[in-house]
Amino acid sequence: MSQQGENSYSEPERRAQEKLQSIDTLKAPVIQLGRDMGYEVIENHDLGAGPVHITWVFKPGSESLPDMRLGFICLTEFSNSSINEGIARAMLNLVDKLVFVVPTETMTKQVKDAIESMPDRSILQLRKYVTVLTPSTLVSKQGIKGARQRRSAETGRGVI
Amino acid sequence: MNLERLVEAGEEKGFEVEQDVDFGAGPIQVVWNINVHSALPNIRFGFITLGGEEGGSQDTEDNQLSVRKIEEAAFRGLRSGLDKTYLITENEEMAKSVSGKIEWLASHGSLIRLDAISLGLYPEQQESSVITPSQQRVPEGEKIRKQDEKEREVKFDKYNRPQGERRDKESEEEGTKRELKFDENSRPKGQKKVLKD
Repeated sequence: MSQQGENSYSEPERRAQEKLQSIDTLKAPVIQLGRDMGYEVIENHDLGAGPVHITWVFKPGSESLPDMRLGFICLTEFSNSSINEGIARAMLNLVDKLVFVVPTETMTKQVKDAIESMPDRSILQLRKYVTVLTPSTLVSKQGIKGARQRRSAETGRGVI
Repeated sequence: MNLERLVEAGEEKGFEVEQDVDFGAGPIQVVWNINVHSALPNIRFGFITLGGEEGGSQDTEDNQLSVRKIEEAAFRGLRSGLDKTYLITENEEMAKSVSGKIEWLASHGSLIRLDAISLGLYPEQQESSVITPSQQRVPEGEKIRKQDEKEREVKFDKYNRPQGERRDKESEEEGTKRELKFDENSRPKGQKKVLKD
């Protein structure tokens, strides 16, 4: 029965299903980490430009300051059109910084290179807006102190 | 889609025209390099064709293109370092729909004013493609609409009630009773409001 059910999927449907599954796999640790860190986590944040898979919302704690949104878009395969689309969705949905979550380190390099290879005269400096990483990098770097934090811990003074 | 007209128009105006180029963010069908002044850098206009054939399923069926395609193409132009990106569609209706969607996307208040860099066009377009905001087209639109509504209500009040049952003759209590009865009896079977004892 179940085999029949599986076979009833056409090739594009099966591929779409697989893509959705791998996006879910990439999303899971990001959602978990966001919740653990106490941020408001929104799945499929969409103001009309298409969904941003996950958004962490930072509330600065003052009504006079705006919320900051860190958006995560999962890419399962490399293509310039998916990068264009991801950046468009993030910017038009008022996301302040975008993180592309990709499955492998090889793809991290590909996407980074594509973003940094923009012409110098372009109006956008996308490397300042976009970060590319794998879920394992994100989780493993949690709790690792930056150079400034380490220095301040050694000297006993707070980070200015 | 025939872009010869665009190429010819660019060349006639003395611009340097490139066809089917890729600056690393995806294909651009036509680029006009406009030399404004020898002391200034060239201005680059890019023309990207939008069609339903690249996997967008129902695109173009109702002369509408998906927001996904429009934003992707506009950002392809941005990432390619173009100063303006014009999205070329099959016909006028589609071009208007694309421009409308660009306006709508820009209205969310993003850092990028998409409508300042992008616009929908069709190959034979001669007239201006700039959409005039409705406030400028119909400056007193809101006033006219409200006035129309008021007139319609007055007419409704005058002709749609039986003689002697005009709203102004009905007391507040009678009005509430009538509304309640209307509410109870106008719902379909099985969806009647359950009234508490």
